[in-house]
Amino acid sequence: MRRGMFFAMAKGAILSGDRSEVLQGTLDMMILKTLHALGPLHGFGIARRIEQVSEDVLKLNEGTVYTSLLRLQQQGWIESKWGTSENNRKARFYSITRRGRTQLAVETENWERISEVIGRVLRLEAEK
Amino acid sequence: MIPWIFRLVARVRGLFGQKQADSEFDLETQTHLQLLTEQFIRQGMDPKDAYSAARRQFGNTTLLRQRHRESRTLLFFPNLFMDLRYGLRMLWKSPAFTVIAALTLALGIGATAAVFSLIQGVLLTPPPYQKPQQLMLIQTVRTDGQKMDSPRGWAAQQWMEWNERLESFQGVAGYDWTFNFLIRNDGSQSMQGMEVSKDYLRLMGLKTALGRGFDDSDFGQGHVKSILIGYEFWQRAFGGDPQIIGKTVRISRWESSPVVIGVMEPGVRFLPSPGAAKEPNYDVNATVDLWVPADPNPKYLKEPYWNVVGRLRHGVTPQRGLQELAAITAREGSAEKQFEGFSPQLEPLTDEMNRDGRRILWPLLGASSLVLLIACGNAAALLLVRGLQRQQEYAVRIAMGMGRVGLLRQVLTESLLLAMLGGTSGIGLAIFAVKLFKVIAQHAVPRLDGVTAGWAILGWGLGLAVLAAFFAGAIPALRAFRLNPMEVLKDAGPKGTAGIGERRLLRGVAMLQTSLTLALLVGAGLLIRTMIKIAEVPSGYNTGRILTMSVTEVQSRSNWGPFHRQALERVAAIPGVQYAAFAWGVPLTGNNWPATMDIEGQPPAAKESDKIALPLRAVTPDYFKLMGLALLDGREFRSTDDDKAPDVAIVNQAFTQRFFTNRNSVGRKFWLNGRDKPGVEIVGEIANGRTDDLTHAPSPEIYLPLWQAQAFSKHLVVRTTADPRAVVVAVERELRAVDPTAAIENVKTLEQIRDESLASRTFATHLLTGFSVLGSVLTLVGIYGVISLSVASRRRELAIRSAVGAQRKDIRKLIFGEGFRLIAGGVLGGITLAVVLSQVLRSFLFEVQPSDPATFIVVGTLFIGVGLLACWPPARRAGRVDPLEALRYE
Repeated sequence: MRRGMFFAMAKGAILSGDRSEVLQGTLDMMILKTLHALGPLHGFGIARRIEQVSEDVLKLNEGTVYTSLLRLQQQGWIESKWGTSENNRKARFYSITRRGRTQLAVETENWERISEVIGRVLRLEAEK
Repeated sequence: MIPWIFRLVARVRGLFGQKQADSEFDLETQTHLQLLTEQFIRQGMDPKDAYSAARRQFGNTTLLRQRHRESRTLLFFPNLFMDLRYGLRMLWKSPAFTVIAALTLALGIGATAAVFSLIQGVLLTPPPYQKPQQLMLIQTVRTDGQKMDSPRGWAAQQWMEWNERLESFQGVAGYDWTFNFLIRNDGSQSMQGMEVSKDYLRLMGLKTALGRGFDDSDFGQGHVKSILIGYEFWQRAFGGDPQIIGKTVRISRWESSPVVIGVMEPGVRFLPSPGAAKEPNYDVNATVDLWVPADPNPKYLKEPYWNVVGRLRHGVTPQRGLQELAAITAREGSAEKQFEGFSPQLEPLTDEMNRDGRRILWPLLGASSLVLLIACGNAAALLLVRGLQRQQEYAVRIAMGMGRVGLLRQVLTESLLLAMLGGTSGIGLAIFAVKLFKVIAQHAVPRLDGVTAGWAILGWGLGLAVLAAFFAGAIPALRAFRLNPMEVLKDAGPKGTAGIGERRLLRGVAMLQTSLTLALLVGAGLLIRTMIKIAEVPSGYNTGRILTMSVTEVQSRSNWGPFHRQALERVAAIPGVQYAAFAWGVPLTGNNWPATMDIEGQPPAAKESDKIALPLRAVTPDYFKLMGLALLDGREFRSTDDDKAPDVAIVNQAFTQRFFTNRNSVGRKFWLNGRDKPGVEIVGEIANGRTDDLTHAPSPEIYLPLWQAQAFSKHLVVRTTADPRAVVVAVERELRAVDPTAAIENVKTLEQIRDESLASRTFATHLLTGFSVLGSVLTLVGIYGVISLSVASRRRELAIRSAVGAQRKDIRKLIFGEGFRLIAGGVLGGITLAVVLSQVLRSFLFEVQPSDPATFIVVGTLFIGVGLLACWPPARRAGRVDPLEALRYE
């Protein structure tokens, strides 16, 4: 996963305007965190939550959420069940697994370390 | 845990239930879009715009579904099926190409798979002993490093001590070869068996299929009470009788009838008994018919009667085992004069078993692999040319967005399909070839009866096909991979032509094929020269119009003399029979009787190992006349030279030359049992013959009168005035008239025996010749193809040449020049290769060196000649190019 993230960062290196493209690995992590925080949710709910939290800074093609969900499910970090949504629609609900929680902890720590380092590097650049 | 494993498992699972997963995903997407639309409406958007806004925010659903599907499962498989279908369609569309390429590969794959299955059956199938790699044959060598004249075993006293003392061995056991007849009222049946010591079965890890093995009560002095019989013998002689255990059987020369206590598991063959190897019925590669318990006789503890096998302890190296064994043996040798001068040598059992097979099968595998490589060369060239014809297609595919990897995979899939097609036909060929080998090579390859044309061939064939696909497909695939679509689409040249780069590559392939073919041809040439040399070598005796058969009187010792004398009289009286004789030691059967002796005028041996050891043979009086061995001095045997008369012998010229400086041996004596006993007088001297092996110079020989030597096993030899086979029935009838229980076996003409003695050479020659003819044909086709392609591609150039005045002759010369450079280059490379490779044939060659210049020159010149012939049709075509074409093209 660690390697996966770097790849994703390399690929998503082109940032467009003030709305940043969401990086693949980052999206995975955000979804994990969302499920961790809010409990079982369907894809729409997840998309809303991410939109809400990111306060429109991140541009999200909501469909990519489902690619992410599939990936997470294949890793065994989340699981899904069919259920009924608030207005009585059939929807698939995703929830985080035990392995997913562990992974989230690892990823969070990782992310904090890396973003701290990158932040430091960027500040250095600015001081020059 | 490794995440990619989870994903892989999930993806493999995703291969199933695709439809449902798709529709579920669609449902999910739909719900999402609806919810989003509703939200937009709630936020005050016009319902008309809300749905498209939702779709915009959601993204491209088709693309998403495709992505989803790709990551859900292994798309490799659906793609593979697509490639396979496409490949099959392409192959179907050009049947000529497909058939030629597949057939080419089939020949190579078939040849190699056939040899592989022989190797699997003969060399790789372990003997049915427990952990056979621990088993060591303990052989005898002379301590002073000199060659032994004849093989020698070990004394019971020695190996019994080893069994007690040796730390590095789990144990040792003694054994010997034995031959006998099962006497039955409906005809006697010969049996080859093993006499084994107490620990033998346990040490080897042999188990019975029925009944029990030997225990201590079965061993002891006196009559043998119990025997074990071999599974195959049980089937053959007793029809697999389930009630066999506890039955008694009658065995010739045994005074009591033993009880069968068990039937051994199937497939158990002999361990070598070098001392018995010269017996007429010895066949180390046969399955064992019976096991006889044998306890060392206290009277003969010092006689070297035993062959010994030992099992090393787990983890002990043969070197360490040998060190310890050598130390004990040296001590035994210094304590006892009869043991002096001999040292042990360890030979892994499996090495010994596989020696002959390896000698012939590895070179053949090499040869068949060369054929396969040559075939791959042709297939590669065909694929490459076809790739050239399809360059446009590839270019369009790339331009339309097919990935390079996809193209590579498609090209490789096609070559794989082709190879599979070739492989399948190759397997058919291989099954046929193995069946053929089993018929023609039974004397050339040991234990061939154990080889079956079964699943192994299928495995080898398919494995080789994959390998061939890779070899043949790699170059064309890489070319397709590096294809520049812009270039190809820009200069859309005529089809069926090739650029200078491709032509150079193809020439390289053809040159390589020529080299490989030449190596094969040189091998075949060397073997053929060997066969000619062997045919030319004077054997010293007649081989034509001679019939042989092993005849054994099985009743009793007292009957021996009368039976043989009567038999000879009756057989000699058959019309068409010129001479008849009994002989132990018929040429080229390898039969003789090794013995140590003292010879008059030679210094007495100081050590046991220094004793003169020479093979003895025994014959009746007419034998020398029958064989055409001229009497040089003295007299022939008389029928009065029997057990009541003084012992006499006839020696050959080589014997006289070696032991008597004055070239006169008649009247001299030698002693078989020490100088203090009465000796044997030499009464005659005969001319030399290549009795042991046609490829060995005559060695000293001693013949005893059969009436004195009284051999149990022997051949009846009959010289006829016409075809010897015509008298077989009459001879058998006469023999049965003397004694109906007499065993008559191995009826063969001496020519047959001669052919069998050369069988491994003949087999190697035939196979190598076949392989090299195959390789030559393939290579010639390859050369023809390359030059044809070159002519087709150079049409415009040739037209211009002839337009500016080049004669037809000049143009032909140009093409022949190209062909010659290719062939000559290949031949030079091939000769270099052959110098190295022909070394492996060394043991098959006779009076021909592996680097025989005559063979190299003849083969090289011949191949250049034939190769140029293959260039003739394209050269002729080139000569006929119309100069007007040059103008028409632009």
